[in-house]
Amino acid sequence: MRDLEAVLSPAQQVSLVLLRTLIGWHFLYEGYFKLWRPAWSRAGAPLAAWSSSGYLHAASGPFAGLFHRLADSSWLGAVDQAVSVALVVVGLGLIVGLFTEAACIGALALLALFYVSAIPSAGVPQPSAEGAYLFVNKNLIEAGAVVVLLVFGTGRLAGLDRLRRPPRARAVRAEEAAS
Amino acid sequence: MNLTPEQQELGRRNFLKALAGTPALAALAAGAAFKGPVKGGPVKVGFIAPGSQGRVLLEQTDPAYAQVVAFCDINPASLAKADEILAKKGQPPARHYVEWKDMLEKESLEAVVMAPPLWMHADIASGCLEAGKHVLCEKMMAWDEAGCQRMLEAKRKSGRLLEIGYQRNYNPMYQAAYEGIVRAGQLGDVYHARIVWHRNGTWRRQGQPPSPDYDPSKWGYPDFDHLLNWRLFWKYSKGLYAELASHQVNIVNWFFGAEPQAVLSSGGVYRFPEGGREVYDHVYTLFEYPHGRTAVFTSIESNAYDHYYEAFYGTKATLILRGETEAYLFDEGGAARPTTVDVTPKGAGPALEASESRSAEAAGAARPGAPERIERVAAYRLEVSGFCAAVRTGKPLAGGPERAVGSAKACIRANEAVEKKTRLTV
Repeated sequence: MRDLEAVLSPAQQVSLVLLRTLIGWHFLYEGYFKLWRPAWSRAGAPLAAWSSSGYLHAASGPFAGLFHRLADSSWLGAVDQAVSVALVVVGLGLIVGLFTEAACIGALALLALFYVSAIPSAGVPQPSAEGAYLFVNKNLIEAGAVVVLLVFGTGRLAGLDRLRRPPRARAVRAEEAAS
Repeated sequence: MNLTPEQQELGRRNFLKALAGTPALAALAAGAAFKGPVKGGPVKVGFIAPGSQGRVLLEQTDPAYAQVVAFCDINPASLAKADEILAKKGQPPARHYVEWKDMLEKESLEAVVMAPPLWMHADIASGCLEAGKHVLCEKMMAWDEAGCQRMLEAKRKSGRLLEIGYQRNYNPMYQAAYEGIVRAGQLGDVYHARIVWHRNGTWRRQGQPPSPDYDPSKWGYPDFDHLLNWRLFWKYSKGLYAELASHQVNIVNWFFGAEPQAVLSSGGVYRFPEGGREVYDHVYTLFEYPHGRTAVFTSIESNAYDHYYEAFYGTKATLILRGETEAYLFDEGGAARPTTVDVTPKGAGPALEASESRSAEAAGAARPGAPERIERVAAYRLEVSGFCAAVRTGKPLAGGPERAVGSAKACIRANEAVEKKTRLTV
């Protein structure tokens, strides 16, 4: 922990924690909003209960068949619930910096699922999405940012992980006690 | 109001041109977007008295906004027809009730849409509000002013929403006309409005009782004809003023930002006295507003040539809203124009069109792009959806009971003025 704080400048540390917070908020609100539905916008438009059915049916790429079968299976309700809860848990973990590494791995797993369900291979704007992408889209970029968070262990810079006993510190104390 | 095709095209283009660059509605939508969502599904609604008008609302009820769970009507035939509508829309059937109080007691409703005969509005709407239900009540608000006040009081005490079914309030064409033209001052000073609803035919409906021994007397109707044709009898109805004029007076009140101070009326049962009809079949009223403004209303049942429209005559321009679907704007352009008479090729309608407004070559540059015609029933859909959105999200009602009271008071007094053949203050 001290090593990391010694190596990184304050601005670098703040930037990493800010990045983690922003990504955490993105995950948290995505999950929260899915669980919150059915809902209404303040402008008065009803929003039906969320389901991944449409997303899974629209899946393309090498795993399209798997996603399509999942969309038509009796597991769909459980999948919807699991995805929503996972998004909330990952988001909370990243925002408060608790079990940050696990949250980062969870985030990477979710982003990987989202990415492989619709790998942008057309290179031209698609009807349901803004912008033009070829292989690299926002999911992949966000995954890259999560990798940065993971390798830097930002929970030890700022977050509840600081309150947990660092594994390395526990090992050192054990060695000291043995000697 | 009959316009030549050229006048219609020019008027439409002027209307659209005048609206261009009006940010008011877009700004309202953008303002709302900064707030988060509100939890909840479709509003659970019961329909009271889904007769002919109630079924129009039922047909236009979007299941994303409202879940229709129950119907209540003293006429079993109306319940059966309402069932057919839900079935046709592929929606689950609703439970049936005869008494509205039973429905409120047994169903966990959030809101009620009601379209019973006018004389029942105050009792039912107040009862529903007092039971904690939000209420969308068909127009006119109530049979008398005391009934309107009772509904307002029930709304105030209950803290629930009360909306009166003036679908023009939800019609985007009227909203655009108000925001982009009237409020923007494009008409100049408006001293005169003309509101017209002309039809050619009796109001009497033909129908059979739902069963030979059907007896509606316990609900106050001596026989089935009184229930079927309640609009023709003073006990239940306020005639053409309630069913037609109140819509248009509501618009004039909105656009003028005022309510009539006095009315001067004439009318009578001139053409259809048979069957004991009591309400007038021809009525003419002059509504006096503050600051020298006047609206003239005519409704006749002997000629449909003019159909129905609201026209606002300003010092700078004339705005005509016809049949709830068409909007025209004509610039004054400085010089007065004579009345023109044009022979116009038409389909089934009259061949000769007399235009008392501006001629086809009136001022106003054409604007490219074909104008879109507003679908009339869309306003009913927006009305029910808007009411449900208000229930769920607190979005403001487009009309509201306070404006509806103004229209109702003026129409009630207009009826009295016919009867007394005199000028009455409102």
